[in-house]
Amino acid sequence: MRIAKKSAFVFALPGILIYFVFMVVPILLCFYYSFTNWDGISDHYRFNGIKNFTELASDDTFLDALKYTAIFTLITALIYNVFGILIAVILDKKSKVHNFAKSTVFLPVVLSSVVVSFIWSYMTQMDGGIINLVVNAFGLPSIHFYGSKMAILYTVSVAVTWAGLGYFTMVYMAALKTIPEELYEASTIDGAGKTSKFFRITLPLLAPGITINTVLSIVWGFKQYDHMKIMTPGTVQSITMNSIERAFNYNMFSYASAIILVLFVIVIVISVIQLGIMKRFEVSEG
Amino acid sequence: MKQKRMMAGFTEKTVLLAASLLFIFPLYIAIVNSFKTYDQIVKNPLSLPLSITFDNFRMAWERSKIGELYLNSIFITVCSLILILVTASMLAYIIARNKTRMVSYMYVFVLAGFMVPAPAVLIPSLKTLKFLHLDGSMTGLFLFYAGTYMSIAVFFYVEFIKTIPQSIEESGVIDGAGTFTIFFKLVLPLLKPCTATVFTFLSIWIWNDFLPPMYILGSDHGRTITTGIYNAVGRETTDWNIVFSCSVLASLPIVAVYLLAQKQFISGLTAGAVKG
Repeated sequence: MRIAKKSAFVFALPGILIYFVFMVVPILLCFYYSFTNWDGISDHYRFNGIKNFTELASDDTFLDALKYTAIFTLITALIYNVFGILIAVILDKKSKVHNFAKSTVFLPVVLSSVVVSFIWSYMTQMDGGIINLVVNAFGLPSIHFYGSKMAILYTVSVAVTWAGLGYFTMVYMAALKTIPEELYEASTIDGAGKTSKFFRITLPLLAPGITINTVLSIVWGFKQYDHMKIMTPGTVQSITMNSIERAFNYNMFSYASAIILVLFVIVIVISVIQLGIMKRFEVSEG
Repeated sequence: MKQKRMMAGFTEKTVLLAASLLFIFPLYIAIVNSFKTYDQIVKNPLSLPLSITFDNFRMAWERSKIGELYLNSIFITVCSLILILVTASMLAYIIARNKTRMVSYMYVFVLAGFMVPAPAVLIPSLKTLKFLHLDGSMTGLFLFYAGTYMSIAVFFYVEFIKTIPQSIEESGVIDGAGTFTIFFKLVLPLLKPCTATVFTFLSIWIWNDFLPPMYILGSDHGRTITTGIYNAVGRETTDWNIVFSCSVLASLPIVAVYLLAQKQFISGLTAGAVKG
């Protein structure tokens, strides 16, 4: 049933208008500003060509942010997907204990990044932090959670993935439900063990779920701001933190736009490559 | 043989239970310590509170004006949700029913918003909002949310509407009802499960959001619950009793929403996963 053109237009207009004004226009502006020298305040600014981008290429704070954000994304994406799949496979049963475990994995998802960061800041204090109290009780030396940049990345990754793991697990659990039971039954008759069932049946058939989850975890990783900002005093910057700092502490608005544009391009390129690669592995639907 | 399997199941369950408890251990720490005095936290961080004190909550409520923060966050969340649910469902109805080339381009255009990281919209949004004289206002903030979450809401609605048979709408046409009547009287009630899913997801994301309210509202125009407690606590503070009571207060309403709508939330994730 087609809806008449006139009413279709009236129905689509408000949504499209909001999307256009508050999503598309800002992105176009971001593009535009990144080729200017605007400070974000003054009335005058001029076209700057690719100067912002050539400066970025030799800006150490930006390159550091890029490097650490990439490492952070890699760590979190690995944790999300490896643990997400394992937990989903383990919890793919019905019992009271299994249901309880599902709820616990999922509960932190509803917490704000601020609350998550507060809790983990407390847990990971050098002195008096819960984790070090436990570690010391076993006679082991305290862990320096914020001792180096890599240590900070690991610490923040644990907090972030603790909170987000529920999403990924749930998507994998839903994907597991789409695998036909007959495949497992047939392989049992053929004498396949648990491990070979996992690698030959479960993993290949989870490919669509893996695709969404890897793309999602990479996008989330690259746009990281909240936890890193709240848990550390700024020793390690993410790309977003770097850009916000440039825009508001240094009044380098166009430069900040250029940083955001780089982030944007990275996310899109990785997602497209990822989708392309994973499509080849996905089992085509019959 | 049977006994052996039962034993294995028992061990598995015990290990699973222990692992689950370890996983929510940080939540236990936050909750029990929000009822202790500072000294008790330092002395006995792991124990249950010996004497329950509500002083932390009273102090947190007064110091960070939690009541005001609640009202701001509720206002912003509710306004964004109403705006998104109404406009996205209407737009999705057209996309799902009118299968012209123009409409499918429009769908791709709207879905492209998925790929955009929120901070990419935030910085230039401050300028568009200023141009519209909406900078530093809650109206500006909820319009920002309506724009950034339009893609996902439209996606959920389109995929859901596609599964609804058109016979009901056709009977409406025969009865001489207009598109508005058909949509709001006949279609919208059928979209309830989808609306519940979108509602749950977005209310959690908007309530918990941190970076956009910080810069769109700024410090002079009211704060949301997240930026409010962040500011009250400050970065250097180690008043853990206040930190935990603020955290508990900030999480209570959204945990309640989640517990009420747990089913919709999970079915939403499932829909997303199956679609691929």
